[in-house]
Amino acid sequence: MPLAYSLPTDLSPATVVNASSLLRIVALALISGAAIASRLFAVINFESVIHEFDPWFNYRATRVLASEGFYEFWNWFDPTAWYPLGRVVGGTIYPGLMATSGVIYSILHGLNLPVDIRNICVMLAPGFSALTAWSTYMFTKEMKDESAGLLAAAFIGIVPGYISRSVAGSYDNEAIAIFLLMFTFFLWIKALKTGSAFFGTLAALFYFYMVAAWGGYAFITNMIPLHAFTLILMGRFSSRLYVAYSSWYAIGTLASMQVPFVGFQPVRTSEHMAALGVFGLLQIIAFAELVRAHVSSKQFQRLLYASVIGMGILGGLAIVGLTYKGWIAPWTGRFYSLWDTGYAKKYIPIIASVSEHQPTAWPSFFMDLQLLIFVFPAGVILCFRELRDEHVFVIIYAVVASYFAGVMVRLMLTLTPCVCVCAAVAFSSVLDTYINPVEPDAVEEEAETAGDGAVSASSTAVSTSSGSATKKGKKAAPAAQPGPLGGLVSTVSAVVSTKKGEKSRGIFGGDTRLAVLLNALGMLLFFVLHCTYVTSSAYSSPSVVLASTNPDGSQHIIDDFREAYYWLRQNTPETAVVMSWWDYGYQIAGMADRPTLVDNNTWNNTHIATVGKAMSSSEEVAYPILRKHDVDYVLVIFGGLLGYSGDDINKFLWMVRIAQGVWPDEIQEPNYFTAKGEYKVDDGASNTMKNSLMYKMSYYRFAELFGGNQAVDRVRGQQMPKIGPTLDYLDEAFTSENWIVRIYQVKKEDPLGRDLRTANAFEQGKRRKRSKPVARRRAIV
Amino acid sequence: MLLPLLALLFAPLCLAASFQTDHAKLVQLAASSNGVIRLDEHSYKLLTNPKRTWSASVQFTALDKKRRCGPCKDFDPNWNAVAKAWSTVPAAERDNHFFGTVDFDHAMSIFQQLGLQSAPVVQVLPAVEGPRRPASGRSNPIALDFSGGFDAAPLAEQLSRHTPVPIPYKAPIDYSRIASGLFVLLSFVAALRFISPILKSRWTWAAITIITSLIMTSGFMFVRIRGMPYNGPNGQWIAGGYQTQFGQEVHVIAMIYGTLAGGFLMLTLVVPNQLSPSRQRMQIYLWTGVIFVMYSVLVSIFKEKNRGYPFRLLL
Amino acid sequence: MSTWSVARWLQLIQHWQLRKRCLHSSAMVSPWRFLSFLGFAAAALAKSSTGNSVLVVLDPGSSRDNFSRFFDGLEARGYELTFRTPKDAHPAVIEHDHPEYSHVILFAPESKTYSSDITPQSLVTLLSKNTNLLIAVSPKATPLTSLAAEFSLILPPPGTPLVSHFPERDTPATVIPVDVSPSNPVLSGSLPPVWFSGVPFAFNSNPHIVPILNAPPQSFAADSDADSGADAVVEAADKGGEGLWAGSSLGLVAGFQTLGGGRATWVGGVDLFSDEYAQKPTLDGNKPGNEQFAADVAAWTFQETGVLRVDGSTHHHVNETTPRDRYTINDRVTYTLRVSKYNPTSAEWEPYSGIDGMQLEFTMLDPHIRTALQPTPGVPGEYSLTFRVPDRHGVFKFNVDYKRKGWSYLQSTTVVPVVPPRHDEYPRFLSPAWPYYAGAISTSAAFLAFCALWLAGDSAEPKKSKSTKSD
Repeated sequence: MPLAYSLPTDLSPATVVNASSLLRIVALALISGAAIASRLFAVINFESVIHEFDPWFNYRATRVLASEGFYEFWNWFDPTAWYPLGRVVGGTIYPGLMATSGVIYSILHGLNLPVDIRNICVMLAPGFSALTAWSTYMFTKEMKDESAGLLAAAFIGIVPGYISRSVAGSYDNEAIAIFLLMFTFFLWIKALKTGSAFFGTLAALFYFYMVAAWGGYAFITNMIPLHAFTLILMGRFSSRLYVAYSSWYAIGTLASMQVPFVGFQPVRTSEHMAALGVFGLLQIIAFAELVRAHVSSKQFQRLLYASVIGMGILGGLAIVGLTYKGWIAPWTGRFYSLWDTGYAKKYIPIIASVSEHQPTAWPSFFMDLQLLIFVFPAGVILCFRELRDEHVFVIIYAVVASYFAGVMVRLMLTLTPCVCVCAAVAFSSVLDTYINPVEPDAVEEEAETAGDGAVSASSTAVSTSSGSATKKGKKAAPAAQPGPLGGLVSTVSAVVSTKKGEKSRGIFGGDTRLAVLLNALGMLLFFVLHCTYVTSSAYSSPSVVLASTNPDGSQHIIDDFREAYYWLRQNTPETAVVMSWWDYGYQIAGMADRPTLVDNNTWNNTHIATVGKAMSSSEEVAYPILRKHDVDYVLVIFGGLLGYSGDDINKFLWMVRIAQGVWPDEIQEPNYFTAKGEYKVDDGASNTMKNSLMYKMSYYRFAELFGGNQAVDRVRGQQMPKIGPTLDYLDEAFTSENWIVRIYQVKKEDPLGRDLRTANAFEQGKRRKRSKPVARRRAIV
Repeated sequence: MLLPLLALLFAPLCLAASFQTDHAKLVQLAASSNGVIRLDEHSYKLLTNPKRTWSASVQFTALDKKRRCGPCKDFDPNWNAVAKAWSTVPAAERDNHFFGTVDFDHAMSIFQQLGLQSAPVVQVLPAVEGPRRPASGRSNPIALDFSGGFDAAPLAEQLSRHTPVPIPYKAPIDYSRIASGLFVLLSFVAALRFISPILKSRWTWAAITIITSLIMTSGFMFVRIRGMPYNGPNGQWIAGGYQTQFGQEVHVIAMIYGTLAGGFLMLTLVVPNQLSPSRQRMQIYLWTGVIFVMYSVLVSIFKEKNRGYPFRLLL
Repeated sequence: MSTWSVARWLQLIQHWQLRKRCLHSSAMVSPWRFLSFLGFAAAALAKSSTGNSVLVVLDPGSSRDNFSRFFDGLEARGYELTFRTPKDAHPAVIEHDHPEYSHVILFAPESKTYSSDITPQSLVTLLSKNTNLLIAVSPKATPLTSLAAEFSLILPPPGTPLVSHFPERDTPATVIPVDVSPSNPVLSGSLPPVWFSGVPFAFNSNPHIVPILNAPPQSFAADSDADSGADAVVEAADKGGEGLWAGSSLGLVAGFQTLGGGRATWVGGVDLFSDEYAQKPTLDGNKPGNEQFAADVAAWTFQETGVLRVDGSTHHHVNETTPRDRYTINDRVTYTLRVSKYNPTSAEWEPYSGIDGMQLEFTMLDPHIRTALQPTPGVPGEYSLTFRVPDRHGVFKFNVDYKRKGWSYLQSTTVVPVVPPRHDEYPRFLSPAWPYYAGAISTSAAFLAFCALWLAGDSAEPKKSKSTKSD
């Protein structure tokens, strides 16, 4: 059998195996290195700082955990959040992340490595990304083979879709969740393949870890049952499936109920019912199988199947009934909004208002996954070609995840691993085909054309549906020609080629190989460039610190947020309550260490609506609200000077909407638009808009800044009136360098019991008009 | 046609008419046009009597073809449906709240005097006097917002806050849809026997899977949720900007993705089965070329969307 | 000598520590008590609780001799009086935003112009910095007229003094004997009528006003003392131009207690304090009440009488003594407030248990508990209450807000978080949970039994079971 290029023949098989495993280890190590390194742009460009919003809370919680120990953390009641309601933190968070870094912290200190907890938090995500690469490698190995695994690991290591949530400093649940997701899936596949309760239990334990770490665990909770159910439908029920699923579900559910925040949800809410139902179905079917094995009457089996199906349907109906009765809570809003996409905007504006809950346009897909996004369908097809149980899993995963990713930007994260796996399968099979030196002998067997390749493939796949790759490998080895690399080569090619067409498949000539391989390598190279570019440019900026480029191209750091937060920390009493829109709650709590009214854990709609009302109503209306909540300072974000578009005026309409949801007849959205229905802040702005607290606080003394020239709001691109708004109930306390953060102090009541407006008028020496005594009685003439 | 005449008929009377007769007339008008009074200048004055003891909700719209007001057309049927639902409540309550429609072309002056620039607008006029006078005592009209969309259900819900009794609006059951659904289901079950081989074939499923994921990953849901147009004005089909896209892009991008994936599959699955070296070589170069070209097309399109993107292939 | 100083020093230090604890325990003590303590520590001999330096601004026309009885009375009570006219700039009332005197008497109702340091604004500043004001106005329109409006006192149009033709007497109609209401918190007991001449003022609704002397029912404000004036007033009232300037609803002397604690008293006519009126016999030939009245008004204004303060507040779990930094829901908590009253005779703060109707609110957004805070029997000056914390976690406040006319306001706020029970504070064993316990126990027992049987059994049936399993 001819070879396209010659292989060294003087190598012992042992050497080949060792060398390949060594190479594999080296490759994995390098991949991990690359994964970590490419996530350090953020630290290099800026500094070792916690990013964005939620991470600040996680960081704060972790500090508590590290300093006070786990029990204190578990019982932590935070009186400074949601003032004055307070927040029972221990019961309302997924503690997995904090626990992880807490453990790492104590281990390092146990080794007398005095590492600051902040650095652990900053570096956690990159560290876990390496682990993710490894678990993806394991997972893909189960799908195809080691080479595909390595490719997948490399992909997930540097793909922006995952980097976006795991750069150094973005200390969020997703940082560890993706690793857990992949590893749980790997263990599940392993358990399913080997049918061992041991791996099932391991899967359950990691599932528990996942539950403790991320709300997205519902994805696993529904993926695995879906997989099992599909297998049953495909008539692939086996004792291995039974053992794997039962052990995973029983232990996993019990374990997950230990997380305080989850509690009894696994048996009370619809999100978890699929798992329960499949569990029941499996029991019934297992029982049926058992009976079938012992009873051999045809009619009886029919009866049995009928009854099984009947019971299954009954079970389903029972769940539905319970839901209607209210024993089982229906879908929660966030979950439901995935199906009925209009739901959130109508009924839960808080969810709809979050930017990462918006649907995804195709450029973001391409930005995040680049070539993987179009290679992965090929991978899916390859999975279909030999349809083993684990391939079914990947296929389902691909469909579901791509739908979710289309609906919500943030769910791109769950799509990414699957895409990496499939793309890796596709890519590695291309490489296998074209690296494999074996050339087919050009016999004119026109009988077997491309067409029956598929047919035969299908037949083999069915026959070896339950068989495993190793079996194939063994079959293939003797068929290969003598030669030390032969075993390796043919195992490689075995996956691509089918047993029947084996000797007659292959590529002729070296140039063709060269062309394809060069093309493939070129694409991979491009992929690497793309990832590096995207990571460094788009995903590495901690939104706490903004960067702009000066005219001369040098980088200019805009640090207003921290400037303002530290001002609060150093110039206000410990107990001073700061009111701001909820986006900044965690940052204020984390950096300024001051009580806040609302923050990013948006559990109390009414409280948020209260803040929205205060912001969107006039001073006189807002003042009593502020006093009632003991607000000392009000903080607003204003981008008008710098052109920072993420400021509060742009979020203002959401505040109005949320407030309107609670006080429909006091706050009405249309009043904030001009008669033409435009959203304006200049002279043409509606009066309600001009009198709203938010507007006044944003543009207070803004016009003066331009020294008589026309004041221009650079975000809205509108010309502001010469005479800015005036404030009677608030004092400007602090405005940051670029005016991004403005802090106002709420005035105390007037000692003479006047309302603050008249008090101000008096201070400015305005004469008030003489008032008259009220005539207490009519005069009799 | 008839209503203006009717109003004209009333005009002389109304000028002299006392308060009760105003109300009676309104009731009659409402009854005559199943619940919705088609208002003109005069009857509008009648309805917005400064001493009114009744409340009213008025729709300002422009239904005429030449106004080309799409929302108006969407909204009008819902409005009438709600009004119809209201006309079913007992007269004692019904006559305390009226529904009216002001069409731009019948009563331009009202639009002018209210300074309305856009349509449709719904205003609720609370009662000024009498038992149903709101506690806040506000008498100026309250504008409804359409943030909930134009659907009848939220509209009825919003209006019910101002009517004496909640509007008994129920969404009509769409029998046709149910019927069609049932039909499809039954036909499917019936055909199950014949199409079962198709269903059993993995490649049907493969096709479904691939098509689904291709469409989803090329931004179908975005277009659907945001209700983006198929293509922009003056026939451009690429929406400028990184965060948005037109309906047509879904097709184009999905096709490009499909082609690229297809190229890979050909190279992997089909090409190796080709046993004549020359033809195989042809295929290989062909598909390699296709992949390369398509890829560079894709990149260039992406560059269209995201100007700052520094890389490019071929074009 | 040294020993004395050391002793005094220690004493001061103790004072400070006590003071600090009080402040700490009540987060939002209104500042004036703090200041007043300083004043107290500085000049322990002063009659007033806020210091003894008084600036008297007199019209150039009237000399101090016209008011010698009043001023001598003050000096006799230990005040240091400094005199100046409105025009001269020294000594300034307030310098570098720091009040130079504890009390200011403005007996310059006639003068239209003041030196730059006395403006309505600066006077309000003084008041907010806890300097007490005693202000006399006259029918003339002066800067003070506009100031009065800020205290929601409405002065009649210029040149309309108070006029009364009853009772029949030989004095002009603008010099009026006014009966003093006996039940006034500011005045000491019942006084004989006082002579008054000047302007009345009407009150806007303002809770801080303390009416001290009201006009006689039959008096009215008019620009002429002819009888026809009465009709003029009524017509004016009917025309709705001016209100009705007549009757006992008008005030002649009114105190004003600011939120900050400073006190201001407005007097319709300066002559009320004059020696002339003090000696002028009343219609029944007795000595008028003017002197005593003036003394009482000054005493109240200069924070000698009716001065209360919160010495501090503590709270603790019902069977503990030290305050906790947080309470669990449904705890029983005891709240204690210590109040003392200033005693002008001994110039000491004495514990005071005489307050009734003081209420404690336990507030988060809204008061969850509002109940009477009774004096503790046996312990002078201590008010305490034991109650059950509501079944609601959050940041609560112990709130005491006691405002009564004639008394200085008592305000105390203490913030304390109320938290849900810890993980180990829930009941460990629940009787309703028996089915679950039974389930767990039976399962484990069954498992043990199975293991035993399986290990004991021979190797026949495992093979069989495997064969059934494998396909």
